Amino acid sequence: MQAFLVLLRYDLGQMVRSWIVRAWVALLIIPAGFLVGIAAANGELASETMAFYQTFVLAPLSWLAVSIFAASAISGEAGVMADAILSKSVNRTEYLTSKVVSRIGATLVVYTLVTLPFAYLLNRYGVPDATAAGIFFGGLMVATMVSFLAALGILLSTLFRNVQLAILLVMVTVLFSGAVLQFLGLKWMSTTAVLNELPATFRGETPLFTVLRVVIVFGALTVASVAASLWVFRQKDL
Amino acid sequence: MQVVETTDLTKIYQNKYIALNAMNMRVEKGMVYGLVGPNGAGKSTTFRVMMGLQRPTAGSIKVFGEEMGPERSDLRRRIGFLPTNPSFPRNLTPITYLEFIGSLMGIPQDRTKIRLATLLQSVDLTGAASQRIDGLSTGMVTRLGIAAALMGDPELLILDEPTSGLDPSGRKQTIELIRELSGRDRTIIIATHILGDVERVCTDVGIISGGRLIYTGPMSEMRRLARHGTITVEIEGNTTAFEQQIPLLDEIGAVSWERVGAEYRIAFLGEEQLPVYIHRVLDLVDRTGVDLLHFNTGEDEIEEAFLRRLEEDRTRGFLRASAWAATQRLGGGAEALALPEGAPNEETHAGVSGPPAV
Repeated sequence: MQAFLVLLRYDLGQMVRSWIVRAWVALLIIPAGFLVGIAAANGELASETMAFYQTFVLAPLSWLAVSIFAASAISGEAGVMADAILSKSVNRTEYLTSKVVSRIGATLVVYTLVTLPFAYLLNRYGVPDATAAGIFFGGLMVATMVSFLAALGILLSTLFRNVQLAILLVMVTVLFSGAVLQFLGLKWMSTTAVLNELPATFRGETPLFTVLRVVIVFGALTVASVAASLWVFRQKDL
Repeated sequence: MQVVETTDLTKIYQNKYIALNAMNMRVEKGMVYGLVGPNGAGKSTTFRVMMGLQRPTAGSIKVFGEEMGPERSDLRRRIGFLPTNPSFPRNLTPITYLEFIGSLMGIPQDRTKIRLATLLQSVDLTGAASQRIDGLSTGMVTRLGIAAALMGDPELLILDEPTSGLDPSGRKQTIELIRELSGRDRTIIIATHILGDVERVCTDVGIISGGRLIYTGPMSEMRRLARHGTITVEIEGNTTAFEQQIPLLDEIGAVSWERVGAEYRIAFLGEEQLPVYIHRVLDLVDRTGVDLLHFNTGEDEIEEAFLRRLEEDRTRGFLRASAWAATQRLGGGAEALALPEGAPNEETHAGVSGPPAV
């Protein structure tokens, strides 16, 4: 536990210092403020503006940033990991768990800290058509999808030694799987379909069953990715 | 008590490269064990498997009597490891990195601070203690690695090329440090290809070649194996007379010689003791009236012994290959893989047996 906490603190420190994370947060905040201004000036619907932001700002920026920092979590520091950390009194489970908690945790914290004030401000200054439950469930769906993106990145980072390849694979997988799954009619598994449904979800019009199905599917995929990462990493030669 | 014990330890990488070939190695408590071998012999792989960073393909490795593996942080807590050309977090400083190691090991902060100050001083890094690691020289990084390895006051210290990248004074300092660290029930294993280092600090030595331990034994035994009848003299003056008279030394056994610049390397292949050869060479110097500038009776003896072992192993490899080829022609079974009569025995030293090659 001691080693896990030390490694978690160390990795969170890395994340805070990372330019990718800083740029990601800045690029999420600036358009959010701009959209609140537009919604207030033009009397835009909060649900539509929020869905627009999630689909066209948060999703692509997070896709880029999370893919990079999650897919470089392990392969990006292979030498340091073996020489400076795992040759000390640390086991692999502690090391990988700290990475998972830190990277997925940071993703969720940033998402929550950006989305909640944004939703509040839109409902306050725009046309307040979004319900509290709708915002909660819509946010939950997007949060589970972003968590899955981070978990997938970590899995590919344990599988491939080449950082660029891991990042590229995460991006390509997420980009094309959304469209393909939607085309196949598996909307509850498709990121694209879920994002398209967001305005209705924020207004509280999406059935609870649909929301739960999305949360369970992406939650299960996240857990499966983390479990697979652990298994792969424990077998890996460093 | 055996601190490290490997049994038929084999490591074959995904690209089918055989890094370790059924290696059997035993290191007793308190030993300073030198693992020497040419590049690619398997020294670093042995250490990485020993640290649980890599899994063996076959065989087993026990450290402190327990099986080592990736999850054995309890065993690693008792080991200090310096990898070759180590990588450390670039954005940290020697102080923050050693503090990080101290916290990983659960050492209380006040003790960590005292310990790191002592260690930074002993590896001569006090002046660079607050510099970022990416600004340190290779030698400084190696010294930081030594300090990090010693942070938990380990019972077993594994040093992979500890003097690589160090300047002569850094190298001397490191050797002195290793000497100081030996004893007090601490076991040290050093991999190097600088044989002089091994000779200076090690009590025992193992020679690894092609992933197999071809010799292991006390340092004194290794020295005994050297060609102790080789004498090197550096002379000036009437060297022609000296050269003409060298063959006359063969009355005390076959003699061969070679000249490199002003240096003559005279090898006696007889059974006499070294003082007899020394006496004869000095007598020759006196008779021919040359000026003796330098006289050496085996400064490189450990190197000689090392090369001799490698040569023998190579010969054994050829013999094994021919035996195998003969077997194939005769359609013989696996038992025919035994060495032909008269071939050097695979057994190199008590406690070590050479396994059949993969």
